[in-house]
Amino acid sequence: MSSAERSACAVEIEALTRSYREGSERHVVLEALDLRVARGEIVAIRGRSGSGKSTLLNLVSGIDAPDAGRVVIEGTAVTALSERRRTLFRRRHIGFVYQSFNLIPTLTVADNVRLVLELNGFGDPEAGRRVADLLAAVGLAERGRSWPELLSGGEQQRVAIARALAHRPALVLADEPTGNLDDRTTGEVLALLDALVRHTGGTMLVATHSARVAAHCDRVLELRDGRLVPSA
Amino acid sequence: MAILARASFGWLLRHPWQLVPALAGVCIGVAVMVAVDLAVDSAGRAFELSMDAVNGQATHQVVGGPAGLDEDLYVELRVAQGLQDLAPVVEGFASADNVTLTLLGVDPLAEGEFRDYASPDSVAQAFGRLRQLLTGPGAVLLSARTAATLGVADGETFTIVVNGRELAARVAGFVSDDAGEADPRLDGLLITDIATAQEWLDRRGRLSRIDVRLAAGDAGARERLAAALPPDARLIEAAGRTRSMADMTHAFTTNLTAMSLLAMLVGVFLIYNSIGFAVLQRRSIFGTLRALGVTRRGLLGLVLGEAAVLGVIGAAAGVAAGVALGERLLALVARTINDLYFVVNVTAVTADPVSLAKGFAAGVAATLLAAALPVAEAAAVPPRLAMARAALEARARRMLPWLAVGGLVAAALAGLLLELSGRSLPAGLAALFLLVIGLALCIPYAVRWIAYFATPLGALAGGPAGRLAVAGIGASLSRTAVAIVALAVAISATVGVSVMIDSFRGAVREWVENTLRSDVYVGVDRGSLDPALVRELVQLPGIAAWSTSRNVTLETSAGRTGLTVLHLPPDSFAGIALRDADTAAVQQAFEDDGAVLASDSYAWRHGVAPGDSVPLPTANGVRRFQVAAIYQSYDSDLDSLLMSRRTYEIFWDDPTIDSLGLRLAPGVSVAAIVDELRRASAGRQALLVRSNREIRDRSMEIFERTFVITDVLYWLALGVAIVGMLAALLALQLERARELAILRALGVTPGELAAMVIGQGGCIGLLCGLAALPLGLLMASLLVEVINRRAFGWVLDLSVEPRALGVAVALALAAAIVAALYPARRAARASPALAMRED
Repeated sequence: MSSAERSACAVEIEALTRSYREGSERHVVLEALDLRVARGEIVAIRGRSGSGKSTLLNLVSGIDAPDAGRVVIEGTAVTALSERRRTLFRRRHIGFVYQSFNLIPTLTVADNVRLVLELNGFGDPEAGRRVADLLAAVGLAERGRSWPELLSGGEQQRVAIARALAHRPALVLADEPTGNLDDRTTGEVLALLDALVRHTGGTMLVATHSARVAAHCDRVLELRDGRLVPSA
Repeated sequence: MAILARASFGWLLRHPWQLVPALAGVCIGVAVMVAVDLAVDSAGRAFELSMDAVNGQATHQVVGGPAGLDEDLYVELRVAQGLQDLAPVVEGFASADNVTLTLLGVDPLAEGEFRDYASPDSVAQAFGRLRQLLTGPGAVLLSARTAATLGVADGETFTIVVNGRELAARVAGFVSDDAGEADPRLDGLLITDIATAQEWLDRRGRLSRIDVRLAAGDAGARERLAAALPPDARLIEAAGRTRSMADMTHAFTTNLTAMSLLAMLVGVFLIYNSIGFAVLQRRSIFGTLRALGVTRRGLLGLVLGEAAVLGVIGAAAGVAAGVALGERLLALVARTINDLYFVVNVTAVTADPVSLAKGFAAGVAATLLAAALPVAEAAAVPPRLAMARAALEARARRMLPWLAVGGLVAAALAGLLLELSGRSLPAGLAALFLLVIGLALCIPYAVRWIAYFATPLGALAGGPAGRLAVAGIGASLSRTAVAIVALAVAISATVGVSVMIDSFRGAVREWVENTLRSDVYVGVDRGSLDPALVRELVQLPGIAAWSTSRNVTLETSAGRTGLTVLHLPPDSFAGIALRDADTAAVQQAFEDDGAVLASDSYAWRHGVAPGDSVPLPTANGVRRFQVAAIYQSYDSDLDSLLMSRRTYEIFWDDPTIDSLGLRLAPGVSVAAIVDELRRASAGRQALLVRSNREIRDRSMEIFERTFVITDVLYWLALGVAIVGMLAALLALQLERARELAILRALGVTPGELAAMVIGQGGCIGLLCGLAALPLGLLMASLLVEVINRRAFGWVLDLSVEPRALGVAVALALAAAIVAALYPARRAARASPALAMRED
């Protein structure tokens, strides 16, 4: 790969392998997987349940460590970093959207969004302004003081999107972002995620088994037998 | 039902560490309760056994004044009055090889069935040495176990010390029970014939008492005997005498029991916490079971059954641990009783089945009681509903004000109980417990608001992690409130007890310093000074003034009175701290008019005020003495009066002096006078000579020893609270695993996460400590002004050392941080990937 190609690459994955041991048996989930994602690109990873989509996202984010291979994000080899440095890298450069929202139940909606800003060193008034802007952008300007569990699924996912984008990460990882939502809400959330990520010029990897979600993406890959192949 | 139980209990078995705090709570609570019960019971039983051995089958006793009875009275009653079931006794103390022994002088021919081990048959059959006991010089009988303790063999001569004099005793044989087995009642007993005892104890011609056997219900015989007695002798019930002596320790043992109940109370919080959490964790399982058709009652039985199993296992372990702990506490209890009350010879606890059963039942009952609320909650779970965490917290937040209101109502009831219960100690202790629990219930509400307002401070101190740590306290009270209450109760107990002991220590030190006006004190170990020697000692050059004291116990059928008889130089009277009295007038009444002074505790216990009179049995019958004033006293003898030597000598024929105080002339050194005293007494009496400083130090040493057991008990209560906090934080961390994983996913490092968990623990500890201060001070004030007063009649001023308060807050902080270390480590090490896996 040329240096020009490399510099345009947001995510570069080489020969990524991850397996789990269960008793004496070894289950290979990802095997020598390669992937390149251009900056600003939105890529869907499709696959059946248990195919390793979430594992791949965990490895990309540095939450999990591979058996072999490497992950480079915006020029940083995440897999070569220590646990602490991986965490700090994730804090600064990655945003997450999960199927089950994963909001902190003991923080209000606004505080959930504000949390990542504080972790990244944003203080008032900048943090306050960003929280207000983001909640307005996701249509929840009036719900800042609500507790997450009192919100509907769609509303919770919108808070999760606001939180994922609050610190303007280079990479957004979305794991089945509409898996817990009905059709109508799925449409709304996808439109929102798509618009906001593209608006900020971010890169996004979306793990999904939904064709509807995949249709919003620039490229669709399928995870099959531990490797990525172009989706049919 | 088996599969139902598996569905529910299986969860607990997969999370066994959650059972540990509940089991620890039951176990420690029961262990402390059983241990205190066994130690107190064993000491009391040992005393009763020794009294039983000494009293034998006597139903009544003829007792005299401080100098005992004239031995002619025995002859008179036996010969002239024709009374047969009588046995003369001379009793005192001896020591050998630093072991205190009860010296019992008996007449084997008169013993009959009084004391089987000392009767002629038993002695003759066992040893064939009756003649030796009666005629051999210094012949004594003792148990084989006592002989082994002293390292003496049959027929061997050994040295004993009686009244400070070294004497030769010879083992004439061993005594045992009827079956020839070792009898614990006989441990520490040295039996000799009556003449030898009289000689050794300097009581020639005198008897300590005459034991009497009267047929039950034979009131006529009792009246005839009473009528035949001279004015200085009285007939009293033997059991009553034992009881009134044992009653001396009643307040001490009641307070110990209260301390053990405190440990149990903290244990109950712990059980509630653990079972409550285990129920909450399984709400979805219970919901599913309800959806599948399990009735509320079925669920109730299921969880109650679990609690019962836990209770049984924990209580059984607690009983076993209690027996082991009891052995250790017994040494402390026995030492305190020996220091303050009477000689008790006990080294091993008697595992009384009643005490063990009581502890076991209390453990199971406490578990079921603590589980009642969580059990009711489990039964109330609607089918197929797993309540959201936020909803649980919202409910907890709604409940907090009501909990606080309930607490205030309990505190008000405590006030009412205090007001209405007069002098009752159990009611005072119940009010204290009610007040502590009531106010402790207000603490979670206070903690919630303090945490709310302190959140910006947390952010300032620790950034986002600090903010999350502090905010998290208010947001997790459904899990931590009970642990907070338990820790606050334990810490407030440390504050209350520390402040009480500090106040007490200050008062006792001042009292001892005021009372001890002499430079040197002379006495004899468990005996009296030779009056002739005293006359010589006070003439030694360099002595400016001297005082004497004599402590006697006056017994009547109504009970016992301790009389301290003082001869004081005129300017020493000021050392007696009088309550609201004109010292000069009281001194004149005391020295010249035959009035007595009543101690605080005597006045409290007998409802006596200055101007009242108290009855005392004199050599010429019962006479009333006017009480001139009440004086400050922290004497362990709660029924104590002061009388001048001059008055005493008018009404009692007893020249005995127990202790001599010497004030030195200016320029005379203590060391020089001690040498003089030793030289003058050489070969006559082994004197205990102590300087003023030594006596003060020894008094304070005994004081500190008395509270060692209190210290042990409240550290145990604190231990229970720390386990509770650890369990609560672990449970919280387990429940928040996903939440913590999200934080890790969002970029919080393991170190930051650990700091957050520890910070949260620290904040909880700090808030507990701060909340415990007013509660502890209130507790101290009740201990000082109500409990001590009701238990002992002592009057103390509350004295608060800021250091004690600082230590308590630091202790709470440290306890919570220690409890948070393991949860923090777990939180930091948990894999976010695993924790974030979809349910």
